[in-house]
Amino acid sequence: MPLDAIPILAVPQGLHSDERSGNAPALLREIAEMLRRFLANGETSAIDLHALPLTPADLEWLREQLGGGEIAITLNAEGESSLNETACPGVWWVTHRNPNGAVDSEFIEVADVPDLVKAHHEDVVIGLDHLELLISDLSKQRAF
Amino acid sequence: MQGPLIEILARQGITRRTFMKYCATLASLMALPPSAGRAMAEAMAAAGVATKRPSVIWLPFQECTGCTESITRSHSPTLESLIFDVVSLDYQETLMAAAGHQAEEALHNAMKAGGYLLIVDGSIPLGLDGAYSCIAGRSNLELLKEAASGAAAIVAMGSCAAFGGLPHAKPNPTGAVSVSDVVKDKPIVNIPGCPPIPVVITGVLAHFLTFGSLPELDKHGRPKAFYGETIHDRCYRRPFYDQGKFAKTFDDEGARNGWCLFELGCKGPVTYNACATVKWNGGTSWPVESGHGCLGCSEPDFWDAGGFYKALSTPANPLKMASAAVAAGAVAGVAVSFANRGKKRAAASAHETTTLADLEK
Repeated sequence: MPLDAIPILAVPQGLHSDERSGNAPALLREIAEMLRRFLANGETSAIDLHALPLTPADLEWLREQLGGGEIAITLNAEGESSLNETACPGVWWVTHRNPNGAVDSEFIEVADVPDLVKAHHEDVVIGLDHLELLISDLSKQRAF
Repeated sequence: MQGPLIEILARQGITRRTFMKYCATLASLMALPPSAGRAMAEAMAAAGVATKRPSVIWLPFQECTGCTESITRSHSPTLESLIFDVVSLDYQETLMAAAGHQAEEALHNAMKAGGYLLIVDGSIPLGLDGAYSCIAGRSNLELLKEAASGAAAIVAMGSCAAFGGLPHAKPNPTGAVSVSDVVKDKPIVNIPGCPPIPVVITGVLAHFLTFGSLPELDKHGRPKAFYGETIHDRCYRRPFYDQGKFAKTFDDEGARNGWCLFELGCKGPVTYNACATVKWNGGTSWPVESGHGCLGCSEPDFWDAGGFYKALSTPANPLKMASAAVAAGAVAGVAVSFANRGKKRAAASAHETTTLADLEK
């Protein structure tokens, strides 16, 4: 039986989620408060957007309000993650995707730079080892 | 398997950032604050697994293997299975290569060492001296008591092990009971669901590895991280409930518009589970998103709790009502009043409201 012979219509995607719940505007105040704390004592903080009852339309609205900033970072680690600064410097929109491209988790972070972007010292040590190995190889080649 | 977890992961090609990303998502799924993701990543990355991997024994009793299917077919196997690499799964009948005496020997060696984590799926039949379900001629009851005696903690996986499950449904011909009905002297974590969500078991293991303890439990022995809120509270259709927009049948305008399924029998308001946030099949969808109400499969006795398609607040026999339940039912009744004031008035004069709790009696 062809799909269109079934007398029940599939809803085009997004139709049921285009209504805003009214929960998003309050988040702007929370982010403002987070920024004030960050300015006062450097305290970084984050909001887990999936922990809140927000519809896709709410998220879209919030994203529009915060706007796009100058920096957009892409992390390729078991699926793509984007860490984008919003039009408000210090406010980052972080989206983690799985290898299939589905969104795993989504956060708003208030920080100079999201933690995930920074290189970890132990990894830097490994990188330095690698570099020293390259240099010693090069100097050996020069000896010959 | 030597060195901290992060080094083991690095050898498998998993970078620190990949791991931190995974922990951020895991913390989000566990409804922990975002800062916990970082703490978890740091603790787990450093977790010394150099000495000895924690031993895990997994015993299947009166079950359908659906729980094992759920875990082993988890859609993001890379990291979740790596978490499993951190433990030593010493006995699992469905997954182990060994059989017969070799398998039994592995089990006995693990049990002799003691201090293992015991995972149980399936209920334990007590009827006919446990004859309804035996492995190698020994009853489930006998096996459970023996394995539980040396366990550090027990994870009752799925609604059968946690609450007796479908075998326990009336009239319960085999006399099936839950793990906690048999074992009284060990810490037990219930991970109910039919089946449970794969990441919940990973989450409990991650918690065990990170903090060295079992997560905080609710009154039914379930980890609050995953079972702390109702399906209804985290449901993306919740705004429609609040606006009084309900689907009346499975093919009406409301159903097509994705409105609330409360009147079609959704048990979301009384069911504690993480489906609404974690979803199923690798985050593809979950029952309500697919247009069907929640059955309440992670709640005790959901199988005997009245019809799956009966709204929580329905006319019931007033003689059966408890006064406390009337108050609880009144809250749920608000939704119906939005949808059909006339029906509610008629119902109020002739009937009382009821909740899942009443249906369970």
